[in-house]
Amino acid sequence: MGGLQKKKFERGSATNYITRNKARKKLQLSLPDFRRLCILKGIYPHEPKHKKKVNKGSTAPRTFYLVKDIRFLLHEPIVGKFRDYKVFVRKLKKAYGKTEWSAVERLRENKPTYKLDHIIKERYPSFIDALRDIDDALCMCFLFSTFARTGKCHVQTIQLCRRLTVEWMNYVIAARALRKVFISIKGIYYQAEVMGQPITWLVPYQFSHDHPTDVDYRVMATFTELYTTLLGFINFRLYHSLNLLYPPKLDSKAASELKEEDEEDFAMNSECYLEKLSALSASLARVVSTAEEEEAELDQFPVEGEDMEKMEAREKEQKQQEAQKKLFEGLKFFLNREVPRESLAFVIRCFGGEVSWDKSVCIGSTYEVTDETITHQIVDRPNIDQQYINRYYIQPQWVYDCVNAKIILPVEDYFLGVTLPPHLSPFVEEKEGDYVPPEKMKIMALQRGEKPANEEEEEGEEEEEEGEDEEEEEDDDNDDDEEDDEEEEAEEKNLKKMEEQRSQGKSLQVKVTPGKVKVENPARLEQEEKAEEKRLAIMMMKKKEKYLYDKIMFGKKRKTREANKLAAKRKAYDDAEKAKKKKARK
Amino acid sequence: MAAARRLKRVVASQPGFLNLKSSSDSTESLSSRRKRVNKNKKKNWNKHSDINDVEDFLDDVRHQERTTGGLLSEKSDDSLFFLDVGQPKKAEPKEAESVEGKKRKGKQSRPLRIDLILQHDSLVPPPKDVLAYQQPNAKKLRRIAQKAEQLAAKGVVPRRQKQLLNRRPVDKKVKAAVTEANNNPDREYYDIWGQETKDSADPWYLQQTRKKLVKRPEKLNEKPSVLPAVEVIAPGGSYNPDFFSHQALLQEAHEVEVKKQKEEDKIERQLAVNKEDTATEETKLREQVEGLVEEENEEETAPNEEEEEEEEDVAVGAIAVAEKKTERQRKREKAEKIKEQQRLADRQLTDQRQQLFQLRSIKTSIKQQEQKTKDKQKQRKVKQEAQKAQPRRLGRLKFQPQDMEVQLSDELAGSLRRLKPEGSILKDRFKSLQKRNLIEPRERAKFKRRHKVKYVEKRAFREIT
Repeated sequence: MGGLQKKKFERGSATNYITRNKARKKLQLSLPDFRRLCILKGIYPHEPKHKKKVNKGSTAPRTFYLVKDIRFLLHEPIVGKFRDYKVFVRKLKKAYGKTEWSAVERLRENKPTYKLDHIIKERYPSFIDALRDIDDALCMCFLFSTFARTGKCHVQTIQLCRRLTVEWMNYVIAARALRKVFISIKGIYYQAEVMGQPITWLVPYQFSHDHPTDVDYRVMATFTELYTTLLGFINFRLYHSLNLLYPPKLDSKAASELKEEDEEDFAMNSECYLEKLSALSASLARVVSTAEEEEAELDQFPVEGEDMEKMEAREKEQKQQEAQKKLFEGLKFFLNREVPRESLAFVIRCFGGEVSWDKSVCIGSTYEVTDETITHQIVDRPNIDQQYINRYYIQPQWVYDCVNAKIILPVEDYFLGVTLPPHLSPFVEEKEGDYVPPEKMKIMALQRGEKPANEEEEEGEEEEEEGEDEEEEEDDDNDDDEEDDEEEEAEEKNLKKMEEQRSQGKSLQVKVTPGKVKVENPARLEQEEKAEEKRLAIMMMKKKEKYLYDKIMFGKKRKTREANKLAAKRKAYDDAEKAKKKKARK
Repeated sequence: MAAARRLKRVVASQPGFLNLKSSSDSTESLSSRRKRVNKNKKKNWNKHSDINDVEDFLDDVRHQERTTGGLLSEKSDDSLFFLDVGQPKKAEPKEAESVEGKKRKGKQSRPLRIDLILQHDSLVPPPKDVLAYQQPNAKKLRRIAQKAEQLAAKGVVPRRQKQLLNRRPVDKKVKAAVTEANNNPDREYYDIWGQETKDSADPWYLQQTRKKLVKRPEKLNEKPSVLPAVEVIAPGGSYNPDFFSHQALLQEAHEVEVKKQKEEDKIERQLAVNKEDTATEETKLREQVEGLVEEENEEETAPNEEEEEEEEDVAVGAIAVAEKKTERQRKREKAEKIKEQQRLADRQLTDQRQQLFQLRSIKTSIKQQEQKTKDKQKQRKVKQEAQKAQPRRLGRLKFQPQDMEVQLSDELAGSLRRLKPEGSILKDRFKSLQKRNLIEPRERAKFKRRHKVKYVEKRAFREIT
């Protein structure tokens, strides 16, 4: 047999992968630079299927990259910039060492810089691609914008992040794109819908940073570097899609309103504009100023392959969304100084409400506490001295709960000093048979347009009883068919009684009473018919299908059983709480 | 110069001229006898004419000029003479003063002799340097300037200036672009997706000069994990949670903690020292005495060994004696082999014939096998799907999920104002990046000191202690 001798690791997967160190040497970069390049270009390590084959027989854990990816990196112009920067640092060090200050200055003037524009264009060829990947960018920018300017990262980066996030929030306000808010113990989750894409981001609470030590700040800063560029371009595009000026300008009307004498108290002149923008209280200037024109409603045509029902459902959803967008329209809010201003102002403005705060809290307040037209004042303290009669004093959770419920909730549960109902996560979607907390059921009932019973009752009633009533009512809402069962039970009981009497040998009083006409309920009949049909269908099933069906039904039943168990537990818990309260009161 | 000299000679010949060195002149003229020389040759004129008188005169003139700054005869009488009125009256006190001054200042007040020598003592002013007042190419330059003025009046800008004017703004722009950093807070953005790429140049040229970027492979746009970028915390993580969801979250956190505890316990158990392995008094003693006391066991084992040896010898002998097969044996073996083969072939044939009647069972078995492979494929696919959401092993370290953020029931704040945020979002983001396989998990590089630290007590410190 002729032919060349086949050598090991010269074909197959061994040639498709390259270790990190080899890749680094091929690119002639230091490890931090290599890592940065990979992050910027979107090239990630791979886990090979057969490590031993790839690793030339060794099983040592290593980081692998695809050879093709590294070859692609070789063409990147930024690599040259990295090398330039390395040389720059070396020269600067030397100049410092020799105390040649003029040389230091000259070097600093000619510091090599680079742009990431071409990388953005390359990684996200279309706008929608970029929009799909914006979650990360938003989280990162919001996070960095809350950092203190203490040198953990570059101050300029923090400023840029702040600017971009303010621009983004202003866009969301202008587009009324916000859908969900969730206040968690970590931070505040927001979800907006931009061009049909759901976008979720997490905003940290202010002043809540302890800098963890096990996080690589260099890596995070590199990601932020990329994401600031991306977010800037997206902002530009979004602003133009809404016919807004970019960089954002305040509306001339609003700007004149905001003009105050004591601007200098809050910010330097150079920062004043950004601060005003970040106050979120004024609307933005448009390229073509239009006086709130009414958009003509589009005619809807069913898309092929979609039946009328679906279209109707969609239409209904759209209507609901439109209603949600105008949730706070016509309401005037005033924020007390103890509530988180930025978050609340953002949420309220997103749904068309007007908002203001004390002049000393932040720049950009539009009206005072004494304004008679204020409808809601948001307060987060047990009591307040001076109260105006014509406005509600409510806790901040009301705003968030309204947004999530998509309706204006009754304010009674959120008054000052009242124990708040739980703040439910809007990101949970219950399936059929899952346990639904009673608070959510209440909200769902409100959404359907049903009114809780206690509204008609007198207001002097005790809160506890109100709660009970509500629960009872919910139960009724829940299972309509239970009533039917009860009726049947009653009939059976009657029959049983008669039977017992008969067995006891008592002579029955035989009487002929005029018969009642049995009222036939057509709806009920129909239901029965349907149930019968279903039963027959089940009977006709093949053995295999029947088995499957039984399995599914068993799963469902189990789920409901568990949900019922939880509900019972909850009731017990509530009762216990009530008992405790009563005791405490006594 | 010549004119001046002539004038001086004329002056000297006049009867009123005072000669400073008149006496020496006269003696020389008397002593020398006149020599006869041809006077028709210029050489002789120079050689034999007596010019001493003239030179002396000129020396005298120069001397006068040096010392007095001009000819004495031309000076006015006032400058040459003065009226003697006797000793000035102030002489005495002046002297006293000077004595005092001498005492006080000493040698410092007198100029050094070396300086005096070097001092310029001639009163003749230095000659003027004419070249200092002259300009080379003055005429040409003047002409050029005139022409430039004329052109400027007409409004024509020279080429050099034009170039300069053209260059300046371009330079400025380039420099601004270069120095603008990537994280400049006032940086400009533009519509990156809207503008059409300008394909003005030849694509081949662009490619060869590295102006055109290499196309990004499609595969790089796939995300390494199916997990979403932002994972929303469970409903129990609300700041004011529903009772059950909170309990569920607590339960989950509890389970995680229990698992961790179990693992720790396991390691501890494995590391624990077995009590049987520890030395007791008895074992210590036995170890010390080992080999010193002869035991009966050894004697018993000895004969056994001998027997074994014998057996081995027998076996070796058996191998050595191998008998040769006879011709007959060989033939018989061959026949048997052929017969066996025949038998097997017949058997196969009958089996094949029989299979015709087993078609159904064969079919079912094939079906079963196919079903089995299908099921396995399905299982593998499910496993792969599940794997997609899992963090991969990308380096030396395994991914460690973050501690769950949980607030216990008594830590929960009643209102937003009193809320204490839990966990760090920075860490959360970092872990999310790791979980989505965007970066490999790493641990912080440990600081290694290359040289030992030398402790030196500072003097100031030592004084105190």
